[in-house]
Amino acid sequence: GDIAFRFINYVRSMRERQLQRKLKHHQNLSWQEISESYKEDKFKSLGDSQVVVCDINKEMLKVGKQKAQHLGYSEGLSWVLGNAEELPFDDDKFDVYTIAFGIRNVTRIDLALQEAYRVLKPGGRFLCLEFSHVSNPLLSRLYDLYSFQVIPVLGEVIAGDWKSYQYLVESIRRFPPQEELKAMIEDAGFFNVDYQNLNSGIVAIHSGFKL
Amino acid sequence: VRCQLYSPQRALQVSAVLRRVSDEQKKEPLASSSQQEFDSHPTDHQPEQEPQGPRPSYTGQGGQESEDYESEEQLQHRILTAALDFVPEHGWTAEAIAEGAKTLGLSAAAAGMFHSDGSELVLHFVSQCNTKLSELLEQEQKLVQLGEAEKKPTDQFLRDAVEARLRMVIPYIENWPQAVSILLLPHNIPSSLNLLTSMIDDIWHYAGDQSTDFNWYTRRAVLTGIYNTTELVMMQDSSPDFEETWRFLENRVADAMNMGNTANQV
Repeated sequence: GDIAFRFINYVRSMRERQLQRKLKHHQNLSWQEISESYKEDKFKSLGDSQVVVCDINKEMLKVGKQKAQHLGYSEGLSWVLGNAEELPFDDDKFDVYTIAFGIRNVTRIDLALQEAYRVLKPGGRFLCLEFSHVSNPLLSRLYDLYSFQVIPVLGEVIAGDWKSYQYLVESIRRFPPQEELKAMIEDAGFFNVDYQNLNSGIVAIHSGFKL
Repeated sequence: VRCQLYSPQRALQVSAVLRRVSDEQKKEPLASSSQQEFDSHPTDHQPEQEPQGPRPSYTGQGGQESEDYESEEQLQHRILTAALDFVPEHGWTAEAIAEGAKTLGLSAAAAGMFHSDGSELVLHFVSQCNTKLSELLEQEQKLVQLGEAEKKPTDQFLRDAVEARLRMVIPYIENWPQAVSILLLPHNIPSSLNLLTSMIDDIWHYAGDQSTDFNWYTRRAVLTGIYNTTELVMMQDSSPDFEETWRFLENRVADAMNMGNTANQV
């Protein structure tokens, strides 16, 4: 949901920029042309861009929809219930597939990657944001300490749920590290696979292209 | 013939080359002269060797099969070449690259493979122009060797070579200032300098420069100066068919020749 909102903002700002650039080149527009170009903007601020938000959990979708309404995003969004290992979409449909903090919860990551490959158009991009492994040994120890000593405690105090946060931290440790995930993405058929560490490895963004 | 081809992606997994074919693994020669840093390029990237064996995605990819036979690098070159058509409209930007990708039947997201400031597009174009120039000079040399053409005097040769090379820029002259500024970005300087020096080298090579002494450096410095100043003049020239530019060029080359003669006399 959040990524969808950012994407919509991005598309809108790009279109505005393009429109500005076009207007700059036409020095002598009549008043009618100018008002026409502004009118267009209101009705199709997204152009042909659309975002599909997919989740396996209906409750999550509901939360997303509420948030969208609250923030005022109405056009260009669709909400679909689906399983990442078996997406309810046709082949070659999407330009970009993003998954943020979701692939860790998928049982068969390779299936999810294959599905991502399938629904992407040629040239399309796969992007995955996920917890990963910290390479720096000092930071790694501090991070472990924080993860196992602080997070579950906070979970208990704030949400009354120690177990879930214990599970969270453990699942992060069990998730494959950057290079391994990169190899898995390549196995699914993606090219130009690369990753970028954020916060020296606590989180990583992996990217691949369907070529 | 020394031909410096610029490859858009550093640390490319060249072993992704020829998915269906060879059994040997090729590793990208990381020549230090063409090394460059992309600021926003993902860190921690190591050139990796692709696993052997048939790719499972060969079958059933429909129109993609043609891509299976070429390397990533070749595809990137194709995208950049296609993107050149969109430069007059979009400038040397990622948008032009996206449009280029679309004409090849790829999603616009493929432009994400390249740096977001259009660097690769400019470098690709410059590299292409240099290659064309080399081919042109090579052909001319062949004609001379076969006796079908006269060998030009050095100043004429230099003038013609520089003019030919600069004329290749004319279709993009509106956006050329932008291109030059991109070439001067710190992270592009190693590559753009490389391309420039190898082009100058080529011209002198075909001009018949056999020197092995200090003259080698002076000649290159002088020609580089001539080329760069003429390029700048061209960007501001509004005369028909850039007559002013070629006249400027003629004068600069004549000056250089005179300087050389005077130096010899002293």
